[in-house]
Amino acid sequence: MVEKTEVVHRDYDSVDQIPELVFRALCMLNFLILLYVALLTYHALWGYVNEGAALEFLLSAGRVPPMAWKYPVTVMMLYVSLQLLLSLECNNHPELVVKLILEFGIAIGISYMTGFGYTGMIVLLLADILRYTIDWKKRALYIVAVSVFYLFMNGNIVQSWINVVPLGKIWKYYRADHQERLLGILSMLALINMFLFIFYMVIMALAQMSEKERILILNNELKVANIKLEEYASESARMAETRERNRLAREIHDTLGHSLTGIITGIEACIMLMDVAPEATKEQLKAIAEVARTGIVDVRHSVKALHADALETMDLEDALLKMIDSTTRSTGVRISHSFRVDLNHFNQDEEDTVYRVVQESITNAIRHGGATKIHVEIFSDEGELHIIISDNGKGCSSVTPGFGLHHMKERVEMLGGTLKYTGSDGFMIHAVMPIRWGKEAEEGSQFPQNQEGQRNL
Amino acid sequence: MDLSFFKTRRFRLLVSLLTAFAAIFLITGQYRSIPTSKGKVITVGVFSDSYWDVQNGYAYKILDDAIEKFERAHPDVKVEYVSGIMKADYSEWLSERMMNDAMPDVFFILGDDFSTFARIGALKDLSSLIVRDEEFDPLAYYAAAYEAGSYGGRQYALPFECAPNMMFVNKTILDREKIELPDRNWTWDDFYAICRRATRDTHGTGVIDQFGEVSYTWKDAFDANGVVLFDEKGKNCDFTVKEIGDAITFLEKLNGLDSGYAVSERNFSQGNVVFQPMLFSEYRAYKSQELSIKKYSGFEWECLTMPAGPSGDNYSRLDTLSIAMSEQTTEKEYAWAFIKLLTSDREIQSEIFDYSAGISVLPEVTNSDETRRRITQSTGTPFNMSVLESAMEKTVTRTRFRGYDNALEEVGIAVSSILDSRSNIQMEQIIWNRTINNYLKTLSRDE
Repeated sequence: MVEKTEVVHRDYDSVDQIPELVFRALCMLNFLILLYVALLTYHALWGYVNEGAALEFLLSAGRVPPMAWKYPVTVMMLYVSLQLLLSLECNNHPELVVKLILEFGIAIGISYMTGFGYTGMIVLLLADILRYTIDWKKRALYIVAVSVFYLFMNGNIVQSWINVVPLGKIWKYYRADHQERLLGILSMLALINMFLFIFYMVIMALAQMSEKERILILNNELKVANIKLEEYASESARMAETRERNRLAREIHDTLGHSLTGIITGIEACIMLMDVAPEATKEQLKAIAEVARTGIVDVRHSVKALHADALETMDLEDALLKMIDSTTRSTGVRISHSFRVDLNHFNQDEEDTVYRVVQESITNAIRHGGATKIHVEIFSDEGELHIIISDNGKGCSSVTPGFGLHHMKERVEMLGGTLKYTGSDGFMIHAVMPIRWGKEAEEGSQFPQNQEGQRNL
Repeated sequence: MDLSFFKTRRFRLLVSLLTAFAAIFLITGQYRSIPTSKGKVITVGVFSDSYWDVQNGYAYKILDDAIEKFERAHPDVKVEYVSGIMKADYSEWLSERMMNDAMPDVFFILGDDFSTFARIGALKDLSSLIVRDEEFDPLAYYAAAYEAGSYGGRQYALPFECAPNMMFVNKTILDREKIELPDRNWTWDDFYAICRRATRDTHGTGVIDQFGEVSYTWKDAFDANGVVLFDEKGKNCDFTVKEIGDAITFLEKLNGLDSGYAVSERNFSQGNVVFQPMLFSEYRAYKSQELSIKKYSGFEWECLTMPAGPSGDNYSRLDTLSIAMSEQTTEKEYAWAFIKLLTSDREIQSEIFDYSAGISVLPEVTNSDETRRRITQSTGTPFNMSVLESAMEKTVTRTRFRGYDNALEEVGIAVSSILDSRSNIQMEQIIWNRTINNYLKTLSRDE
């Protein structure tokens, strides 16, 4: 039965285990005392019957004593019951009061069985009350109630009201000196019980004092942490600023840089064409104007929301196609593409990244590689999105990543992906990033709402 | 399987309460009311020899007949008893059964044990059963016999068999001394006068060898003089009253006749004493043909009512064998029915005159012509029934309370001390009054 208490309370007192241990020791001690009383009483009663002194005993006891083997069994059963009650934790005062009343009832039962010769299990009730963190006024009330009860239960007062056979009378079965000794052991055990209880109280008080100290220390720590937190907050603001500045730089590079590159390339072509084919030059200039206009729009957007261009109004696939088309028209570079995955319904940052990677790669291929053919390939494989942009440009044996490449890599890595490039045969950029809902995207995107929902998770 | 339920508060509370209830169920013996395959069984506690110490070999005859009759009326109930327990061991046997929580449902209870067992709470209070049972009539019993089963104002037992205390008279001596047999209303004066005349040295050896009475105790004298020693609850005793003084004076006078010779009951059976109080059962036993040669055979004898004191009447004490129900019984109704059968069934009660030495507790049975015929038949002499009748009319009972026997012992000590001291009786009465009341106070304190 003690085991059960242990199980219940093992994680009960997280602050300090010592009072809990003492409480268990109290439970154990009371168990032993009751066992001692019950077995001795049982033996004495058995002895009376066995030696044919039953009538004599009844005459002197003046009461039908506890019954034979049922006596120890009943005492132990009641004690088990009490232990189970003690193991119950209460959430409010009515519960606690009901629990206390039940415990009282059982404690009276046990005491009655021992002829009110041992009532020490009441301290278990007291000890149990002390375990609750309730305000001291109410706790005092409980303690006073239990103590008054304890006083009344003790010894001779009750024996004068309730007809019980005192233990001393039953134990008269033993020789006078032995009986004295046995009763002495009982009162000694009762005293140990009291001492243990006092020890428990002291430990409990100490634990509560150390708890207060702990709270003070924690308070100080909290203050320090608070100050640090404020520092962190301002630093974080600074960092956000920096990040924003970087993003601005990126945006300018992405939008203006791209448009200007297109315009410069276009104008260079115009210069060469102007004399040969004025008509074509006119066409070219119109395309350049278109690029410039797009650039202006991009800049406006960037300024307004610092956010990507075409994606603003179109979904990713359309935006990519539009970009490829306008680039082809303004530069005359042949750009082929193969999108083997549904490009829509990506997350915003993913869309941005895909768009920027394609845009930047094309820009690089035209500007640095002088490519005339570019191939854009997007597909998904094993939950990852692959973007490959290859060209027939100059390539290079060793790549010195510029701002654009570096920025691209940064973006991909932010999404947990990798970016590889090689300049051995033309130039090829290979970006791989995990798709958060790639499968659904592959299988069809009839349930965008659902995907949206999952994402939010 | 999800074990978390077994760790919940509700589960532990449930187990706790169940355990507590089981414990109460166990200790109060309620579990015995659970029906078993054995069916309903009533156990009876009974001793194998005669309550009146008159062995006749019919120990279980009445009980067996009662059981047969009972089982016929209640076919679903069996009645069992353990045979072979002697009367001398019976109280101890009952005590042991009680301590082993194996009390018989119904048991005979000796007159001396009654107050002890009632005091320790071993007997069921029958009062509520009596009130509820319309067939049952307490007035059908001799009042004194019925009273013998009451304790502290509650009825704990019903009488089965009784015998009044009567005065046995050696008619041979009376004839020799030419003294007339006193009538039923004789008094202390008659008693004393006869004793004085009979007490003498018949052989001329200088030693008194014929005596007036033996075993006439202070209790007989107190009863005869209508002394009520204690109040209802045994809290007070008025030992200073005149009746007590008169009784003691009379005893002193009576004892003075023997000039210090310690008369014993042996003297009576040898035919040297005129009077000895004895239970009526003795009369029936030794008047019967089988036993008449065993005792009191050398002289003619008769029984008489007890002599009346000046303030009292020809009161007799009544010795009663009662039947009680165990406090722990679970078959209350059947036990009650069986007790009723034993104590108030005319057929069973009339068997007492065939197989036992006492008399029936029902006046209707005892006073019937049938009974008169049986007694006359068994004793061989025509029996004057009116003596028994008048003795039974004037039987007295004592109000019993906790510690009654001890208190009575205390009074006994007082009386013998006063008789021995030969100083002023009234003074002694006042002194002893205080002692006895102090003793009663300690008794009620112990309660």
